[in-house]
Amino acid sequence: MARTPEAAYPVAGREQLPVEVTYAEVDQEALRLLQPPGRIYWYGVAFLAALVVAGAAAWIRQIYTGLGVTGLQMPEMWATYITNFVFWVGIAHCGTLISAILYLFRSRWRTAVYRAAEAMTVFGVFTAGLFPVIHLGRPWFFYWLAPYPNERWLQPNFRSPLVWDFFAVSTYLTVSILFLLMGMVPDAAVAREASTGWRRKFYAIFSLGWQGTEEQWRHFSMVYLLLAGLATPLVLSVHSVVSWDFAMSQLPGWHSTIFPPYFVAGAIFSGLAMVITLLIPMRRWLKLERVLTLWHFDNLAKVVLLTSIIVTYAYIVEAFMAWYSGDPFEKTTFYMRAFGPYGHLFWLMVLCNCIIPLFLFSPRIRTNLPLLFIISICVNIGMWLERFVIIAVSLSTNFMPSQWQLYRPSLTEITITVGSFGWFLMWFTLFSRHLPVISMTEVKEGVVWLKKAIRQEQAKAA
Amino acid sequence: MDQKVSRRSFLKLAAATGAAAAIPGCQPAARHLVPYVVPDENVTPGLPTFYATTCAECPAGCGMIARNREGRVIKLEGNPLDPIGGGSLCARGQAALQGLYNPDRLAAPRTRSGDGRSSPISWQSAMAQLISQLKAAASAGKDRVLFFGPPQGPTLRKITEAWLKAYNSQRLVAYEPISYQAITEAAQRCFGRSDKPVYQLDAAEVLVSFGADFLETWLSPVEYTRQYASFRAPRKTDGKTTMGFAVYVGPRLNLTAANCDQWLSVRPGTEGAVAMAVLNAVVEQGLVRPESGLDPNVLRQLTANFGPDAIAQQAGISAEAIRKIAKQLAQAKSAVALAGADDEVGQMAAMLLNAATGNLGVTMKFIDAPELTRVSTWSEVTDAVKAMREGAIDVLFVSQVNPVFTIPPEVGVAEALKRVKFVVWAGGVPDETAEFAHLLLPIDHPLEAWDDVSPRPGVMRLRQPVTRRVFDSRALGDLLLDCIAQSSPTPSAAPWKNSLEALKATWRDVQNQVAPAVPFDQFWTKALSEGGVYVEPKVASVTVNVSTLGEPPKPQVLADDSFALTCFPHIFLYDGRGADKPWLQEIPEPVSQIVWDNWLEIHPETAKRLDIDEGRVVEVVTKSGRIALAAHLSSRIHPQAVAIPIGQGHTAYGRYAVGRGANPWQALPAGRFVTAAQLRPTQERYQLVSPLSGGDMMGRPIVETISLEQLERGIVPQEEEPYPEPYNMFEPYQYPKHQWGMTIDLNACTGCSACVAACYAENNIPFVGKEGVAHSRIMSWIRIERYWPEEGKGPLMLKMPMLCQQCGQAPCEPVCPVFAAYHTEEGLNGQIYNRCIGTRYCSNNCPYKVRRFNWFAPSWPHPLQLQLNPDVTVRGAGVMEKCTFCIQRIRFAEMQDLTGQQRLTDGAIVPACAQSCPAKAITFGDIKDENSAMMRRRKEHALRNYRALDQYLNTQPAIVYLRSIYRERGEG
Repeated sequence: MARTPEAAYPVAGREQLPVEVTYAEVDQEALRLLQPPGRIYWYGVAFLAALVVAGAAAWIRQIYTGLGVTGLQMPEMWATYITNFVFWVGIAHCGTLISAILYLFRSRWRTAVYRAAEAMTVFGVFTAGLFPVIHLGRPWFFYWLAPYPNERWLQPNFRSPLVWDFFAVSTYLTVSILFLLMGMVPDAAVAREASTGWRRKFYAIFSLGWQGTEEQWRHFSMVYLLLAGLATPLVLSVHSVVSWDFAMSQLPGWHSTIFPPYFVAGAIFSGLAMVITLLIPMRRWLKLERVLTLWHFDNLAKVVLLTSIIVTYAYIVEAFMAWYSGDPFEKTTFYMRAFGPYGHLFWLMVLCNCIIPLFLFSPRIRTNLPLLFIISICVNIGMWLERFVIIAVSLSTNFMPSQWQLYRPSLTEITITVGSFGWFLMWFTLFSRHLPVISMTEVKEGVVWLKKAIRQEQAKAA
Repeated sequence: MDQKVSRRSFLKLAAATGAAAAIPGCQPAARHLVPYVVPDENVTPGLPTFYATTCAECPAGCGMIARNREGRVIKLEGNPLDPIGGGSLCARGQAALQGLYNPDRLAAPRTRSGDGRSSPISWQSAMAQLISQLKAAASAGKDRVLFFGPPQGPTLRKITEAWLKAYNSQRLVAYEPISYQAITEAAQRCFGRSDKPVYQLDAAEVLVSFGADFLETWLSPVEYTRQYASFRAPRKTDGKTTMGFAVYVGPRLNLTAANCDQWLSVRPGTEGAVAMAVLNAVVEQGLVRPESGLDPNVLRQLTANFGPDAIAQQAGISAEAIRKIAKQLAQAKSAVALAGADDEVGQMAAMLLNAATGNLGVTMKFIDAPELTRVSTWSEVTDAVKAMREGAIDVLFVSQVNPVFTIPPEVGVAEALKRVKFVVWAGGVPDETAEFAHLLLPIDHPLEAWDDVSPRPGVMRLRQPVTRRVFDSRALGDLLLDCIAQSSPTPSAAPWKNSLEALKATWRDVQNQVAPAVPFDQFWTKALSEGGVYVEPKVASVTVNVSTLGEPPKPQVLADDSFALTCFPHIFLYDGRGADKPWLQEIPEPVSQIVWDNWLEIHPETAKRLDIDEGRVVEVVTKSGRIALAAHLSSRIHPQAVAIPIGQGHTAYGRYAVGRGANPWQALPAGRFVTAAQLRPTQERYQLVSPLSGGDMMGRPIVETISLEQLERGIVPQEEEPYPEPYNMFEPYQYPKHQWGMTIDLNACTGCSACVAACYAENNIPFVGKEGVAHSRIMSWIRIERYWPEEGKGPLMLKMPMLCQQCGQAPCEPVCPVFAAYHTEEGLNGQIYNRCIGTRYCSNNCPYKVRRFNWFAPSWPHPLQLQLNPDVTVRGAGVMEKCTFCIQRIRFAEMQDLTGQQRLTDGAIVPACAQSCPAKAITFGDIKDENSAMMRRRKEHALRNYRALDQYLNTQPAIVYLRSIYRERGEG
């Protein structure tokens, strides 16, 4: 654990973290990002907003005419929208993993990336939360999922996994927003002090009157620890509950006890891949090489590799159980999954999720950012396909062979899906230049540790 | 109509308007409820009234009960008193409603100007125009007016004849496109009779059909389906379990063949020859029954050209098979041979076979009563066309027939029509013939008019207006009588004021014959409420008349290198008259499962040789014409045959009929359904659409079967394990009063899909069109699952009505987040439309895939929405729906029970599907009542009980299926 960046990355050259980073330099790096952005930035935001508008228009049309404008049909009553839902919940996963679990484990490398990951979590849930509503036949009644008081004492059905889902996702959203805002309080205070005008007022809201007193610091670290403790089970529970949407049904390909761990691993896998996908361009465009070093990406890539292997194991177990159970329906479903009309999607998924991540065994590839970026994109695609294969392809090979039909997404679904990426990236882009995307507090904590570690290495070398 | 009816009709209209306005989704909801000013004693809002009438969708003439709510007919059901339909209807009968409420029906009279465009005119000027033309024709000479219509009942015929007489003419053509002329001609030759025989299939032990599709369109499909179901019912004979043995001889595995034990695939056009060869084999094997009184030598001479060996070679089967059929027919205690409607040789052979095997008067009977319905012979029809072409006709009145569509072009109807000075078309939806008319008159649908009909000797039935007129139409009889009254002052020309009076006059004669002692009013009321008079038919004693048998026929030989094109009436579209009804277009043809189109059925091997693939547009060229339509590959057709269903290919006849497939009559020679054809694949492709994807059941326990041998020995083919006591967190459901269930006998079910049509009608199920079906969004709550068994094993086709199984442990219920799907206290899987938010999880979790989602808001073009059942919610966009076991009928019966009007006894509730089923395969009842007919049916056939997929999923359906019974192939 006590290896220095240089010792680990002798080849990294100028991109390495400077031996000595002062607290002031950390502040400078972070505050530089909060300067008013340039024109290109706003063009980018406008482009993403346009995607959102297109998606919204498609959704409004869908509400107006009915779900018939989608490609949904018998038997694929769920397809792209629910795939998107699970995909975005999965993306939303790793922020809490990094900030809560790795915090409890005292992983030092998380400090520079966790704020971005947490923001990604919140925006991921924002995006994910839209899809269950988009996919409803009558979305204007979505609130019926909530147990709100009403004159007829109508309550949701607590036996339905969809109700569990509603609670799991809303709890997760609440806790991740709290976590994000809480961790940001000292940083927002720094930004407040460094800015003037409306920006000062803006940061004042987020800094909650932070003065940096010793007592505040004590309370802060206690709250943060408690929140981390609270959030940790959520990391495991959210995606377990999401997986129950499928595991609790009896459809071959859905009804499986392996789903909760399998989905959690998959979520971390896809979430970390998305973190890498976001951080590599961010590092370059925002010139964060001094803070986000190869060391961070190396560690992220290692977790991606681990979860990839877990996911691969889950695929194998699923297929094995289909064969071993002797259940003819299960067997057919898994056979059709690989060799049926959607087989190419399955094999593309295997390629993206099981084979390509194996390159990450090589430290050279782990520290080669362009390659890492490509691999992370592959994983994103693969994990989207995984959900599609589980959801839509299983539905297409149901119990009634006469009712097997092939699903194809319509333009409406594609537009809304693209719009959801625009929505997510728009929020993230706005966040990255308006709130401290690098945690000054924690990076500064790391500076001391880093200094010590480097000294030790130097002494050893001498 | 008389005054009384008009007043009532007015009030009905008032109610209908109010009720129609209250249907959500069709029109803005009514803001005010307007009470009756004078309540009608016959109409209680909310309660149905029932009128007996007769189906007019095919010549069979089944009795119907029309359910009327607030002035409009909303559902048709079989009349249980009727000896033909026996209380059932087929899909076509159910869909008659969509003919009545068809949005493309002619709304008002129209006249066509020289440039071909038509414009509406008033009835008054239309009548004036018609009468002046008629008068001119009458004064121009004799027989210059021609009435071209369908076979009519006695009264309408009487009126038509009087009308023609008033205009100095006798030209009356009673045209039936798929006529049974061959039957009457064969009867004439064999027995010297001019009427059609009736068959008693359930009296037979062996049935051989030489091309007669008696479960689809042949003569009287509802009646024969019912008889066939009882023919196929397992029974103990001499201590042995047995059931009727059936063989179908024909080029294509149609629905009838698929329900038989054996299908002999012969070359098209050889069915009659095979029948003759069977007769020959009966004679040669010395199997002619002595009691039949037939001289074997006469038969030997007659069938001399039909030696089994030669014919077998021609037909492409083994001579052994022919001899075997002969033995089976002759040695059975009772047997019946049937032949195709257009096949005179086959008809003769079948009739003589029935006679020779001693079954005349047992399974084939002639009724001792006069034939009251006259059908013109083919030569009479062509003579009329010839007269038109020669300019001998000044006024042609064509009504309710479509000669342009149904008569092959070589007869030249279209050209002949152009030569007629004045063509009057009177009907419902303007068809191809209407394109040639100078004057178009909207006339009443059979559900709107007074009429009578005699579908067979000894059966007299009534039709009455069961609903208020939908459009500004008039009864044909009234129209004709008005013509007479307005054009000639002589009172003798029209002895009746209107058609009701004429009808009553006819029925006074009927009363004199049937019940002379009863006062007429009493007789009339009874006949009207029962739909007709039913007297025990007297079976005529008939013998073969050797002298009229005539010359021995010769087999027709088809050239070896050509394909034989065989065209058959589509089970729903029949001769094309069903094509304007969206239900009939949307219900899949039971064997091919194709919707909204017709197709060229071709064997895959042949197709491969000709480089034809599924959906390839193929040009079919015959001597008579050419048509192009999409190919459908099926191994269940003779390799040297191609088949096309009749009924599509309309160029007019409403929005639902136009532009679908091709009209095979365009390529057929006059008066025949088989001809040599050449196939030319084109570059085009055309998508044929089916709601079913796979025909392979993959060995899953969906449609289960049992062999006769297993049944005899008491072996259950797929033993269901007793439920392992499932761990259940929840209290088991309690059913305090009733637990509704269903028993469906798959051995009786033929797959005719009458239940599907009935369900559409009863439950306001929208149709989605070809695009909707292609997108797998068909809305039917009940469907026929059709699978093909493994090669050479089990029955020829597996079929089963699949509807919501109303599971005891329903997968759909717990997953609904808002309790829209829930378990009722009567064991139903309820679905609350208003609570549904459309997560569609229930459908994902339903193993039977019987839940339907409303992808769009449903719509019914006006006035189709008038058919909607006010007892059933019209579902809006975004909600799930499914079979409810006709909950509205259950609730209605329970209400009646509560109010003491009628006790809720077993049989008081009949869901629409069970009501309509011609085979009576579906029984509904209370599982808690051990003595209900439904439970007794389960117990009586305990060995055949199974629940679909239940042994794997423990869904505990309330529907118990009875396994279909089959004979091992080659067993007989």
